[in-house]
Amino acid sequence: MSAADFKDGLIAEIPNLRAFAASLSGSMQLADDLVQDTLLKAWGNADKFQPGTSLRAWLFTILRNTYYSLYRKRGREVQDSEGTYADRLATHGNQESHLDLADFRKALAKLPEEQREVLIMVGATGLSYEETAEICGVAIGTIKSRVNRARAKLAELLSIGGVDDLGPDRRITAAVQRAGPETVGS
Amino acid sequence: MNLMNADPPEAARAEPDDEMVLDPRVQESIGRSLKAHYDDLINAPIPDRFMVLLAQLEDTERRLKAGGGSDERG
Repeated sequence: MSAADFKDGLIAEIPNLRAFAASLSGSMQLADDLVQDTLLKAWGNADKFQPGTSLRAWLFTILRNTYYSLYRKRGREVQDSEGTYADRLATHGNQESHLDLADFRKALAKLPEEQREVLIMVGATGLSYEETAEICGVAIGTIKSRVNRARAKLAELLSIGGVDDLGPDRRITAAVQRAGPETVGS
Repeated sequence: MNLMNADPPEAARAEPDDEMVLDPRVQESIGRSLKAHYDDLINAPIPDRFMVLLAQLEDTERRLKAGGGSDERG
């Protein structure tokens, strides 16, 4: 792959990298720094990319690792002082068919990041479960489980059906199950 | 490489509470919101800094190659 082709590939992935970085870090400013670092690392390691494999998956791996090793703490600090981008971005109006975007983003930001990242990867980026599992370095079953928990948590945060449909007994059982590991430890 | 698959610490506990089956309509609604969230970010204007950075990187590489005796132009 020539340098020019590789560069074109990187350029084409920039919007996706920014969207994923913003979803992960909760800040557009951090997202842009994260994307810049990712592009630099990708360029420096271009010889390690295998042509024919997914450039997006390769770049997401770099971005994600950069985030967890360098940006995670900064992200929390920025969110504490400025709020998440969800609080500041212009919001789309309500539409009958889907939830209000601002409310959804606030709920999304409340998910544990291990759930949020897989929900985004699987649900919005076009990456497969297999690719997502490889990017995160865990089994596909773990990805599926995280996606399910992320959806259930979102439904709960947004108070949309599901939980109530299960009936009160089931709901309490689920809550107790969820609280289980933490309560045992404390 | 330790950093290659850095995983958040919470990942250690993978308790399966998948029995909580969501209404398909709820799943669909979440899916649509997820797309709306992501597409909105994807369609945001891209700052110039990335194109500037990539042009610099490409330029540096081209000059290094030229300096190394090769006439390759990418």
